[in-house]
Amino acid sequence: MLLTTSVGSLPKPDYLVQARSQARKGAIDASALRALEEQATREWIKIQEEIGVDVIVDGEQYRGDMVAYFAEHLAGFKESELVRSYGNRYYRKPIIVSTIRRPKPITVGWWKFAQGLTDRPVKGMLTGPYTIMDWSFNEYYPSRRAATLAIAKVVREEVEDLQRAGAQYIQVDEPAISTRPEEMDLAIEALGLVTKGIKAKTLTHICYGDFKTIGPKLHRLPVDQIDLEFANRNMELLDFFRGKRFPKEIGLGVVDVHSHRIESKEEVIRNIQRALSVFRPEQIYVDPDCGLKTRSPKEAVDKLRVVVEAAREVREGLNGRASSAKRQARLRARALISKR
Amino acid sequence: MITTVVGSYPKVAEQAYGTTLIGTITKWQRKELTDEQLEQVCREITGAVIQEQEAAGLELLTDGQIRWEDLVTPLAKRIEGFEINGLSRWFNNNTYYRRPILHKAPVRRGPILVKEYQAAARSARKPIKAVLPGPYTFAVVSEDRHYKKLRPLVMKLADILNAEARALAAAGAPVVQFDEPAIGFGKTDIKLAVEALGVAASGVKAKTAAYTYFAPLNGALEPLMRAKVDVLGVDVVSDPKTLGALKRVKITKELAVGCLDARNTKLESVGELHAIFKAVKARVPLDRVYVNPNCGLEFLPHAQALAKVKRLVEAVRSFERRA
Repeated sequence: MLLTTSVGSLPKPDYLVQARSQARKGAIDASALRALEEQATREWIKIQEEIGVDVIVDGEQYRGDMVAYFAEHLAGFKESELVRSYGNRYYRKPIIVSTIRRPKPITVGWWKFAQGLTDRPVKGMLTGPYTIMDWSFNEYYPSRRAATLAIAKVVREEVEDLQRAGAQYIQVDEPAISTRPEEMDLAIEALGLVTKGIKAKTLTHICYGDFKTIGPKLHRLPVDQIDLEFANRNMELLDFFRGKRFPKEIGLGVVDVHSHRIESKEEVIRNIQRALSVFRPEQIYVDPDCGLKTRSPKEAVDKLRVVVEAAREVREGLNGRASSAKRQARLRARALISKR
Repeated sequence: MITTVVGSYPKVAEQAYGTTLIGTITKWQRKELTDEQLEQVCREITGAVIQEQEAAGLELLTDGQIRWEDLVTPLAKRIEGFEINGLSRWFNNNTYYRRPILHKAPVRRGPILVKEYQAAARSARKPIKAVLPGPYTFAVVSEDRHYKKLRPLVMKLADILNAEARALAAAGAPVVQFDEPAIGFGKTDIKLAVEALGVAASGVKAKTAAYTYFAPLNGALEPLMRAKVDVLGVDVVSDPKTLGALKRVKITKELAVGCLDARNTKLESVGELHAIFKAVKARVPLDRVYVNPNCGLEFLPHAQALAKVKRLVEAVRSFERRA
């Protein structure tokens, strides 16, 4: 119970940031870049093991944007010129220009590489069909629905390959799912195509949401676990689940990934304990709110560490309480017997 | 028909006026450049954007909102009482704006956009309209820790925007436009929104416009016809039902038809645009019609934004030749 994990991305070390920029300029070749991506992945897996994270991620050291990465490896997409995301941030938004196909597995090689480095389970990490559609331009499919379902088909192929390779956890992120409540049914349908009959544990991460409108449909998302950001809303999202028997596991974001401040252990313990008034301990996976890639490597390590230490302490408390309850029951039973 | 744009224009253009703005802002944020140096670059890009709109053949331009982080920040940061906060999603788009937080009764200490407007207008040969957020949208995208009630906030912002609109009209703006994407988005107090638009536009010595976009207008179209503005902007591409809804209401205003999708790169055909013009013509005399993309062009990469503007002009010209 209260297993710890993280949402997916981890910051890239400086040497990798520099190498990526050099690779874009053609100053280093693909194999040199790949070697550094592997080095960074090795380092992050070792760090997660040392901290004691239960379910590991590869840290996505070889990915840029979570949609663009898949668009780059699928047939049917091209890259746009720069568009602004917010403030002074720009990105290249994929454009769907022809039938979407998956020429070969995308993440399976990296998953095998990462799993080969650790005995702990490594999550397979994918972006969901609705999010890939919503975050791309579409010049080819006649509707948003048609594009989403076409993407679902190739994401499904990737999920099957990850499962075949041995992944016990497969996360299919749908951060865009909360953008248009009127399309929630489409997102659910598409995710269903991706996860149907999959034996591995399936998860989805959702963020930036308007939960008043999508909340009532959350339990219909066809995955075993839903991962949400709780900490950056001061755990207020718990109120939404209070008094309901939520039928799925919950990924509980307990530290804010958008702030530089490292939460104290006591604060994170309080966050977990508040969640325990709503969810059962077996139901909860504890993690940061979202991917940590926007933090510095040191901040990311410190945030992960406080998550693990807090979860461990709460877990020990629960175990202690459980075993002392058992001991008392035993004593009571013995007392009853000896009375006779 | 008058061809125009809604507001924003791409701030960078790899194939045209370049991407210098990105590095300039980064350096300015690190205090390696002065305010004046940033302003100089913004002025150059604004000039390029205006020139490009003119060359494309548009009749009514904007300054492209090159300095704008989003629709509300440029106003909120210069109105006392607001503090600019963290990122929130901009309606149903994968872009973000900074949510203003209101801590006390807002006060406008003086003109906000007038200087920028005058500089842009001086560099243009065609008329430039002034764009402001509408009072209702400004209120609902803000976090109100002062009034804690929608109505007093909306009406107070309507007063402030009215003062700014009057100043912009006095500075020579032929059209002052209020953007109201929040109308029709979720539960809308449309009566309040319409009343506030009337306050914001009152006594403004220019043509006034209210532009809606993104949201389905189900039910809002009829009350909007009662808003005391001259022009009503309607996005007929985000929700295909809107064009049909226009057929069922009495159109008592000049109509600005958002007929190209500024949120998708797919280029509309001349035929598709003509079909929309034809449907509009059946309801409104064409000399009371503006045509434009459905919303600001900044959601598109520059190449596609420009292609859409050119396509709009091409379609209007061939439609009017034929008519």
